[in-house]
Amino acid sequence: MAREFQRGHKAKISDLTQGTDLYVGVQIAAPGLTFDISCFGLDANEQLSDDRYFIFFNQPKSPEESVQLLGAQSGDTESFRVTLDRIPANIQRLSFTATIDGAGQMSQVGPGYIRIVAGGEEVVRYAFTGSEFTTERAVMLGDFYLKDVWRFAAVGQGFDGGLDALLKNFGGEVAEEEPAAAQPPAQGAVPSFAPPPGGAAPPPAFGAPPAPPAPGAPQPPPPPSFGAPPPAPAPHPMHGAPTVAAPMPPAPAPSPYAQPPGQPQAPQQPQFGQVPGQAPGQFPGQPPGQFPGQGQPPGAPSPYGQPTPPPYGGQPQGAPPPGMPQAGQQAGAGLLAALQPYKEAATGQRWTPQNQQLMRVDLAMGGAPVLARQGSMVMYQGKVDFGYKGAGFAGRIVGNATGQEMQLMRCSGRGQVFLAEEASHLHPIELQGDAICVSAENVLAFDESLQYEVRRIEGHGIPGGALFTMQFQGTGTIVVKTHGVPVVLPVTPTTFADCNAVVAWSAASQVILSSQVRLRRNAYPGHSGETVNLQFRGAPGNFIVVQPYEV
Amino acid sequence: MNQQLAGFAPSPVSARMENHGRTMLKVAMASGQDLYARTGSMVAYEGFVQYEPNPPAVRQIAGQWVTGEGTPIMKCAGDGLLYLADYGADVVVINLNNDSISVNGTNLLAFDAHLQWGVEKVKGLAKFAGQGLWNVTVGGTGWVALTSRGTPIVVDCGRGDDETYVDPDALVAWSPGLKVKGKRSFKASSLIGRGSGEAYQMAFSGQGLVVVQPSEDSTDRLRIRG
Repeated sequence: MAREFQRGHKAKISDLTQGTDLYVGVQIAAPGLTFDISCFGLDANEQLSDDRYFIFFNQPKSPEESVQLLGAQSGDTESFRVTLDRIPANIQRLSFTATIDGAGQMSQVGPGYIRIVAGGEEVVRYAFTGSEFTTERAVMLGDFYLKDVWRFAAVGQGFDGGLDALLKNFGGEVAEEEPAAAQPPAQGAVPSFAPPPGGAAPPPAFGAPPAPPAPGAPQPPPPPSFGAPPPAPAPHPMHGAPTVAAPMPPAPAPSPYAQPPGQPQAPQQPQFGQVPGQAPGQFPGQPPGQFPGQGQPPGAPSPYGQPTPPPYGGQPQGAPPPGMPQAGQQAGAGLLAALQPYKEAATGQRWTPQNQQLMRVDLAMGGAPVLARQGSMVMYQGKVDFGYKGAGFAGRIVGNATGQEMQLMRCSGRGQVFLAEEASHLHPIELQGDAICVSAENVLAFDESLQYEVRRIEGHGIPGGALFTMQFQGTGTIVVKTHGVPVVLPVTPTTFADCNAVVAWSAASQVILSSQVRLRRNAYPGHSGETVNLQFRGAPGNFIVVQPYEV
Repeated sequence: MNQQLAGFAPSPVSARMENHGRTMLKVAMASGQDLYARTGSMVAYEGFVQYEPNPPAVRQIAGQWVTGEGTPIMKCAGDGLLYLADYGADVVVINLNNDSISVNGTNLLAFDAHLQWGVEKVKGLAKFAGQGLWNVTVGGTGWVALTSRGTPIVVDCGRGDDETYVDPDALVAWSPGLKVKGKRSFKASSLIGRGSGEAYQMAFSGQGLVVVQPSEDSTDRLRIRG
């Protein structure tokens, strides 16, 4: 089991693994950006005294090959092989860095990580997201350093300049011409290197357009396979570019998360645990390039005209035996092929959106129960207990409400519960100590660890006499449902919303009932104009969420 | 005006059944290849297509499905393009390749007439509304179109040791090889649902797939209209 490092964590390598022949994988991606991932071999003064130990795309190995650049493979944007006991004594520190090639800043970066794999098993991982950075153009991800023994530190420190500034910082010199061509690493030069498991050799080609990673939901990465690393130091979209796949007997370890190399990983893009032996295929009308390795031209429209990148676009397959012709390349026939786009997404997170309208909560992760709206469970697997919840809470609402109550159920146990309601769009909101007010009827589910209280906004003209909102606070996730695609508005001095359409607002903003008084208000019977609105006031940074549907 | 709308023109036919958008089904009809579709699901057609409501063949197979209004299936025959939809529900097109699927009656939109099919009532389950859960098992090699309120999800049942429990209102389809049983989860202390429909679940076990829609709206809109 991999250890998760936070920024600043340090550990002896020997505590992590007995091995000294290590695989270091870096994943970093941002829409439209390419990255140079390099390794600096520094001396005791943290200077790059020997240029030959600056391992980057143009110098893929150190003289004695103790540090080698392997290229992108299986989910890692860049990977290295580090043989600690062959590193010469004057090299005291290996610093792994990622720099943006061209314009851009680190805050655009999606979830990424640096990880160490030894003997085929991931031993440590330091995950980061772009939100930890601002305008930096480079980041020092992690260091191997020699202090009595070799140690690993998760650094995660941004750096303002680009690669050349970073190089100067380490005392190196920049040659004027920046060579653009990447040198393919010599294949087969690492005979004794224990590759991580996962039988998925890199697919021959992938036609899936790289989906931009959205921040927020990192995904468990694939165990890297040791096939032929594509000769690209950075994730260039390799449309249809055939890459040679090294034939490799499939490892016994199942790797349903095998990923096409060099593809920036879209974190929200679920991956589907496949039935073994299932015929991969597609049915017509589905985006080509759905499966890596099919080599279909990208760019076809999504199956159902979905504006967003489809949640099932470009997912990899679960470790097909290499050499096996991938069946069903065009119109895949069969039930499994047709239903393939709707397969369950498998990520190791507590809350996983399966698609825009369905949320899966894994109760086994985190262990805490979940409160969900009654009737919102569409399916569950495992041993889940559904308890009636509401005496205290609903009682409080009922106490001051007329017919406005929200009934909750408490899902506890071990298992996975799928929640949805009336095909409304679901939005997981992760609270980290902050607070949000949600209209009670738009709450679908939330972690029991959140504190909530019911607020009541009274006023004439509101249907039912009052508007009930729930204020959530603490650390956890709340799932809000909206009919249709909502709009998020910043709170300005003149922000108004229909009390029936408003879904949520940041708790720091103040709600005022505003009535427009018009002379001819009741000029004709049955008038139901927009007379009562909610006005929001608050400091900049507050927001409200409004749905296109007036309940 | 034409330019803006031109994007919605039908794409060239490439298969017997195709999606047009996510909620409309386009069927390429040819004589000799009849189609069974839900009565009232036709939204448009081109060419010469004839409809026969309440066909005798259906009455034989699906006699027990017949309610006061007759079977909710019509037979379509002819040449042309047929467009079907069910009140904006997502349409899922399946090309069966010698396999079979059980579809909830309300979620079936159309299927090739040459497929083997049958109607059965799921035993041990009676929904609150009083009508049982009818499902149509379709098998063979051919095309089937399902509807789903919202993007469906497909779950592999054989993955875990435990059974998969599904809200009957959200159930769309499942592999016929699965074992199905009804489950009542009434307990003295923990009463879920309280009349909101969550007291029954269907438990699936075995190897196979279950298709679930993200909505508990199982009303048969085509039937309501009559």
